[in-house]
Amino acid sequence: MIINKSISIIFAILLSFFLISPIFLVVLFAFTDRALATFPINSFSLKWWIEIFNHRQFASCFFNSVIIGLSVAFVSSITGTMAAIGLSKLPTKTASITLAIISIPIMLPPLVLGIALLSFYVSIGMKLGLHTVIISHLLFTQPFVILVVYARMVTFDYSVIDSARDLGASPFKAFITITIPIIQPVVIGAALLAVALSVDDFIITFFTIGAGNTLPTLVFGMMRTSLRPSVNAIGTIILLMTISSSIIALWITRYRG
Amino acid sequence: MKNRSFLLVTPAIAVFSLLFVLPFIYFFLISLWKIKFFKLVRDFNLVNYEKAIFNYIEIFITTYSVSIPVAIITTVIGFYYSYLARFKTGKFGSLMIFIALITLFGGYLMKIYAWKTILGNEGIINSILIYFHIIKEPLSFLLYTKHGLVITFVHFLLPFSILPTYAAMRGVNEIELDSMKDLGAKFYHVHFMLFFQRCRTGVLASFVFCLLITSGDYITPYLIGGKITFIGNMIAPKFGQFFDWPGGSAMSFTMLVISISIILIVSFLFKLTDPK
Repeated sequence: MIINKSISIIFAILLSFFLISPIFLVVLFAFTDRALATFPINSFSLKWWIEIFNHRQFASCFFNSVIIGLSVAFVSSITGTMAAIGLSKLPTKTASITLAIISIPIMLPPLVLGIALLSFYVSIGMKLGLHTVIISHLLFTQPFVILVVYARMVTFDYSVIDSARDLGASPFKAFITITIPIIQPVVIGAALLAVALSVDDFIITFFTIGAGNTLPTLVFGMMRTSLRPSVNAIGTIILLMTISSSIIALWITRYRG
Repeated sequence: MKNRSFLLVTPAIAVFSLLFVLPFIYFFLISLWKIKFFKLVRDFNLVNYEKAIFNYIEIFITTYSVSIPVAIITTVIGFYYSYLARFKTGKFGSLMIFIALITLFGGYLMKIYAWKTILGNEGIINSILIYFHIIKEPLSFLLYTKHGLVITFVHFLLPFSILPTYAAMRGVNEIELDSMKDLGAKFYHVHFMLFFQRCRTGVLASFVFCLLITSGDYITPYLIGGKITFIGNMIAPKFGQFFDWPGGSAMSFTMLVISISIILIVSFLFKLTDPK
């Protein structure tokens, strides 16, 4: 029995290590001196960071990623929260079918979504740019927001709202003064997940942005030509943005799988 | 009351319809059209599908000979990981789920890039093995081979497999597991099958996601696969340097139909194994 238990623990540690170590290595080699990611590491340096901060496209890519991420989070947290509140008042079966349908874009390969959106935008004469990336990202961030907020809304205690209504508050006032403060942390958490998903996306961005660049499309261009640690440095920035926002989100929403 | 609730869902449904349903119908229609003098011409024929199937059959075979094993391996490991986190590791279990969640949201491109630096001839694994004099020449079967491709895919997809299987296992408690044993499921495999069936939706969700995403990927084969070409690597350029939307669209739908057929077969097999 004890042997069984320790085998479980060993496998658990090995698998967790397998999950996390590649990400850890990307960050580690952003700080090394040599131009190749190899062991042993002789000395640490910040030269790759200086290189990317001096990269002429870096700043614009960074701002594009931030603008897209924040806009996507803003819009999808509004449409997603509204949908989650609406769905929570409907019968569970209707709600789960609607959720499953709205979540189809998450299941499809991003390549198929990207090219379908590209051909659609081009044929209706829409110019490609940051705005087309933003609306495209809504497709796969919105379902996440709905899922997270809906999970909170099904346990929502409507009797508080009823009390407010009995005491004379209009539905609107009850919504502003009671519903919003209660669900606010979950909505912020969901919005941060949307930021993480949006900033991380490469394929859909690549097809719908036209001529511009974001951090992932910049990093892809660099990756094709070389394996220099400056790629690791930009990668670390992307990871910092996505992982920190998702950690805060998980902490706020107490979402556990 | 009910109507008002539906009203709240409308913006989300509008986004879904305008940016998913509509583009997809249009994208499907394109697969029936043709290109003439570098312009799309409306038409109605299945030539593009014929070409997609007959000209690219080998590439479809390669694609699925990697993505089916990837979907199975990932689901098995993900199931085991969830099982460990749920029943075997106590408090460490929630840390395991936390690790799975943060790797889920971090870095599609960076994970692929990480494996490129880990598996390469001058990569991390080879440099460690050479440094400790375990090998003299770098192991070349790691990068630009099927092995490397499978490892990268499994690593990238594992969190997506852990979450649904773990969610399914949360509904099963230890008492239930023990009572399955007590009620006569003495043989280990029966015991396991009963447990497995309880988690069926989660396992199926994991398999479906892994298969669809792997078969439709083109960045991982491009960066890790070397000479291995996926159907996605043929589709993507048709929307870039080679202007052939009808061809690319037909190939995409062929791919989706193959993936969905595999999923239907697998879910049918799942039902067959149900001991009930």
